[in-house]
Amino acid sequence: MTGIFWEISKRNIRIHMLRSSLAMLGIIIGVVAIASMGILGNTIVQEVSSSLSSVGDSVIVTPYAGGGGGFGGSNNMYLTNQNFQQIKRSVAPNVAIPVMSSSAHMKVGVGSDDIVAAIYGLPPDDTKKLLPDLEAGDYSNGNSGCLVGTTFAKDHNIKVGSRISIGQNGEYGTLRVTGIIKERGMSFDISTDNALVVTKDWFENAFDRSNDELNEVVVKVTKGDTADIKITIEKQLNRNTKDKTVSVIDSKATLASIFETFGMVTTFVTAIGGISMIVAGVSIFNIMMMSVNERIKEIGIMRSIGTQKKEVMSMFIYEAAIIGVVGSVVGGLLSIVAGYAISSLMFRTTEYLFTVATMLSVAEGVGFGIVICILCGLYPAWQAANLNPIDALRHE
Amino acid sequence: MPPVIQFSDVVKVYPLRAGDVVALSHISFEVEHGEFISIMGPSGSGKSTLLNLMGCLDTPTYGDIFISGIGVRAMSDVELTNLRRDRIGFIFQYFNLFPLLNIIENVSFPQMLKSQQQVDEKRAVEVLRAVQLDEHLYTHTPLELSGGQQQRVAIARALINNPDILLCDEPTGNLDSKTGASIMELMIDLHRRGSTIIVVTHDPNIAEYTDRTIRIVDGRIAE
Repeated sequence: MTGIFWEISKRNIRIHMLRSSLAMLGIIIGVVAIASMGILGNTIVQEVSSSLSSVGDSVIVTPYAGGGGGFGGSNNMYLTNQNFQQIKRSVAPNVAIPVMSSSAHMKVGVGSDDIVAAIYGLPPDDTKKLLPDLEAGDYSNGNSGCLVGTTFAKDHNIKVGSRISIGQNGEYGTLRVTGIIKERGMSFDISTDNALVVTKDWFENAFDRSNDELNEVVVKVTKGDTADIKITIEKQLNRNTKDKTVSVIDSKATLASIFETFGMVTTFVTAIGGISMIVAGVSIFNIMMMSVNERIKEIGIMRSIGTQKKEVMSMFIYEAAIIGVVGSVVGGLLSIVAGYAISSLMFRTTEYLFTVATMLSVAEGVGFGIVICILCGLYPAWQAANLNPIDALRHE
Repeated sequence: MPPVIQFSDVVKVYPLRAGDVVALSHISFEVEHGEFISIMGPSGSGKSTLLNLMGCLDTPTYGDIFISGIGVRAMSDVELTNLRRDRIGFIFQYFNLFPLLNIIENVSFPQMLKSQQQVDEKRAVEVLRAVQLDEHLYTHTPLELSGGQQQRVAIARALINNPDILLCDEPTGNLDSKTGASIMELMIDLHRRGSTIIVVTHDPNIAEYTDRTIRIVDGRIAE
């Protein structure tokens, strides 16, 4: 029996094609607004996520930089070897890696321009643990070798075997590039894409640093939770709450917080898109009310010859659903096209467009469009079904 | 066999703000199987109220109505709707066909409601032949038909579920005299074949076609 009411709904939409098309247009705009905002938000999250993926599960310990100008709290520049040993003991069996860092002038080859770049000193045994992926070459065996970041290598045409003299006049010595580090993106520990990584011994000699002048300690957490490790380190090293020694960053928690913020931003912009959907819903409601008012006599005839209320109601809900499904699906397809254009223009990549999260945004937009249409058709349908057949028959 | 329609001391009161309006007052009558009856009366006499009550579109304030022995007073909306669908055929002055459906679909509509199935074209053609509608019109829409042709379709729609009663509200009121006469000939033919027909009309000429006339004046049956 669904057939005849479904057929009437379809034919009614067809004979009022302009009106129905305008209602569908409203839904299309609403779905495109919601889905595009969702696609945009998800693409940003995934873009940032891929940039931060190398952060992994690590805890970064840096010297305490003061309590924001208030009383109390120290202002250390470095972590000492004693601090490092305390950290190492407290996080075992996880690995703690001491890191020295600075920036230095350098030249690649003879007669090249002066470059200023970040330079990190790491114990050779720990380098592989902190930077497990190389794009080319190998880890340095001796003190005169170094690794370079991929961006740094590309920008200055550096290959494995290239030589880099450190210092304005090469006063710190010359290093041979043994490997190129795979792109790591933004990191909480060390940012190597545009930097050099040397051995800790070479760094100490070149920059006249002692073992008590560490810039940070990176703990690679393979056992336990990063949040627990953070607490353990803080308990060990910040016993005096007024005179803290270290600041501890839990990369996982920070990452989660960043994603949470992005999630909120995505939800917010999607909600703004939702306003257009509500406007579209009001237009559907209006059109359905018009449809009911135009067909009062027809409803009266239907009721008088034995059509149940629920059958009258279904006829109007089908009508709203057809508008909703067609409008929402077209809107969903257009939002993929819009997402493709936005991704291409803003991010220069469309690799995040066809991911589950992004497609879920489109599905949410389409689903929301259909639900809004059906909800907005409910009251007019209910009103039609509950018309008094006698009054409806008299209606002109 | 119980009467097709039995009104027993029926009162219908419309409560209005300005005061109650008594549309029908203590009406009692019976319609037997196969009768052809006309109901006549001036405007405002209560003819439409009587038709609505006979058609189970409304229920009485007091008294009882039985359709083929079934009391309708305490029926729910769903039950009344099913009763209208299965036992009553309506024929209206303005034909009241569905403009979005073709002739076969219009005629099949009550049958689709009853069977919850798709169009039974065979049955629709059968009743359309009975009302003598040209076969080439079956796939047309109502607006492409003349008034007389539309009324034949409306009669076919009313007949499709083999109802106990045909209720006709001014069936020739919107037709010229010649077409009206042919429609009344069709009614007589249906009556001869055993249909119970009740016609509400202003027209004394139409009443002449029927076996019996019930006159309503001021909500009462005039003797």
